[in-house]
Amino acid sequence: FVRTAQSCHGRPIFALFCGDKDAEGRSWCPDCVTAEPIVRKELHNLPDKSVFIYCLVGDRAYWKDPNNEFRRNLKLTGVPTLLKYGTPQKLVEEECFKAELVRMLFTED
Amino acid sequence: SIQAHKEEDNPQKTMEVNGLTPVPDSYDYDLIVIGGGSGGLAAAKEAAKYEKKVMVLDFVTPTPQGNSWGLGGTCVNVGCIPKKLMHQAALLGQALQDSRKFGWQFTEEVRHNWVTMTESVQNYIGSLNWGYRVSLRDKKVTYENAYGEFVGPHTIKTTNKKGVEKLYTAERFIIATGERPRYLGIPGDKEYCISSDDLFSLPYCPGRTLVVGASYVALECAGFLAGLGLDVTVMVRSILLRGFDQDMANRIGEYMKEHGVNFIREFVPTKVEQVEEGTPGKLKVMAKSTTGDQIIEGEYNTVLLAIGRDPCTRKIGLDKVGVNINERTGKIPVNDEEQTNVPYIYAVGDILQDKLELTPVAIQAGRLLVRRLYAGATTKCDYVNVPTTVFTPLEYGACGYSEETAVEKFGEENIEVYHSHFWPLEWTVPSRDNNKCYAKIICNIQDNERVIGFHVLGPNAGEVTQGFAAAIKCGLTKEQLDSTVGIHPVCAEV
Repeated sequence: FVRTAQSCHGRPIFALFCGDKDAEGRSWCPDCVTAEPIVRKELHNLPDKSVFIYCLVGDRAYWKDPNNEFRRNLKLTGVPTLLKYGTPQKLVEEECFKAELVRMLFTED
Repeated sequence: SIQAHKEEDNPQKTMEVNGLTPVPDSYDYDLIVIGGGSGGLAAAKEAAKYEKKVMVLDFVTPTPQGNSWGLGGTCVNVGCIPKKLMHQAALLGQALQDSRKFGWQFTEEVRHNWVTMTESVQNYIGSLNWGYRVSLRDKKVTYENAYGEFVGPHTIKTTNKKGVEKLYTAERFIIATGERPRYLGIPGDKEYCISSDDLFSLPYCPGRTLVVGASYVALECAGFLAGLGLDVTVMVRSILLRGFDQDMANRIGEYMKEHGVNFIREFVPTKVEQVEEGTPGKLKVMAKSTTGDQIIEGEYNTVLLAIGRDPCTRKIGLDKVGVNINERTGKIPVNDEEQTNVPYIYAVGDILQDKLELTPVAIQAGRLLVRRLYAGATTKCDYVNVPTTVFTPLEYGACGYSEETAVEKFGEENIEVYHSHFWPLEWTVPSRDNNKCYAKIICNIQDNERVIGFHVLGPNAGEVTQGFAAAIKCGLTKEQLDSTVGIHPVCAEV
């Protein structure tokens, strides 16, 4: 994730972190299942030249490990997390269900 | 349509204002709050709970150095929060020194990195700014980052960063615009000096610093800057901590002096010049004695002005709606329901005349006001016996009367002061001062020796004071205090 984000340096970067999906394409994380379509519906509001990264954080066991790389390096505390990389602006868990808040994250400074 | 809505003349509207029938959609908003700080946000969020249509306006006019910040007001951005974090940074430095005596061994010299600290603090503040925006949006409170000013009855004009103007009307308004640091009005002050508005986000270490002022802001900042290892001088015009118990104020000053803060007493700066540009640069300060003709000069990397704060009430169009302000101070007089002389305009927070300038007071006043307006409540804000803490290197917590004010109000013969020095157990092993921590209570002899003043100077003073404030609110007497068994070994047992 970090490498991809660094390669986009200079552009606004938004990222959605979700639990891994199974063979049928369904995530083990029920909140991620709810949030993903809502977030995707707001993608057309992303500012020009911005980048949207969709990142899977592993299976449930890996995510629960308090030392996993996402918790350690990116300081993620929950999934789903939708954030604006390099800023303190983020939405966590049920906050991602609210289209209004997603839109605010994408469109406002 | 603005002319048509003078509800003072309309009896039907008067009924609606009391919440007996739904208010017609004749105004854009039920409530517009001017100022998104402690008081403003608390009031706005409370009003949203009662399904009112609320707008919050928040705008930071950049400092002379060009600095600005996000939603949340002074406390969050350039006040209590960064101050306490930097105070903590300084305390940790002391703790590292103490730790050697407790057996911790490290060979590296311990140094402080200003930029690392400031980035962490600003990052945290950024998350608070964002959190407030999420909270407002979630509660359907409209937020505009725009400067609000009254242009006529029930009407304000907002101007955003880009200069775009809009007009809005509301049934009621709450002014919560807070204050900004005062400048000296001498040559070089705005060009070269900084204030607390700039200090907490300064992108370079301030270096050798002159702090001008003797307010709690001045002493707290001087305190943590010295604690971080910087060469700090405080220039004081007359007394320390005006308005606070002077015995306690002097003890704080003595402690700071003994711990490396230089004081220049009874001088005021007359001119600031730049000797060298840089981050930080070099500044030369000329100062004159207040008691004679003596002139002195000094060179510093940074000059921090902390001589007072002025309310932001002069340029928000209050004259257009007839709101009275104290012309000299800029403060707004209100009744005990935070109402100005204009019935539909209220005010909360630091801008109020004769009220304490504290975040929790503003929050409490804002919330209770809104509950009275929209939820039929009757509780008014209690401004008496509000506890406070000054986070100087030796912290000072207080609740109630200072010794001077108690003597003035009740007469020296009617009050009894009980006091004691104490030596925190944690200070014994590292051989820190054994006669500096101090506590006193002031009792009213004529009222069962009721505790009317509580003062403590020592570590964690804020934590110690909070509980005693509740006890004082319940009418604590000396006898009750004596019969309360102490917790051992803690400072508070004194």
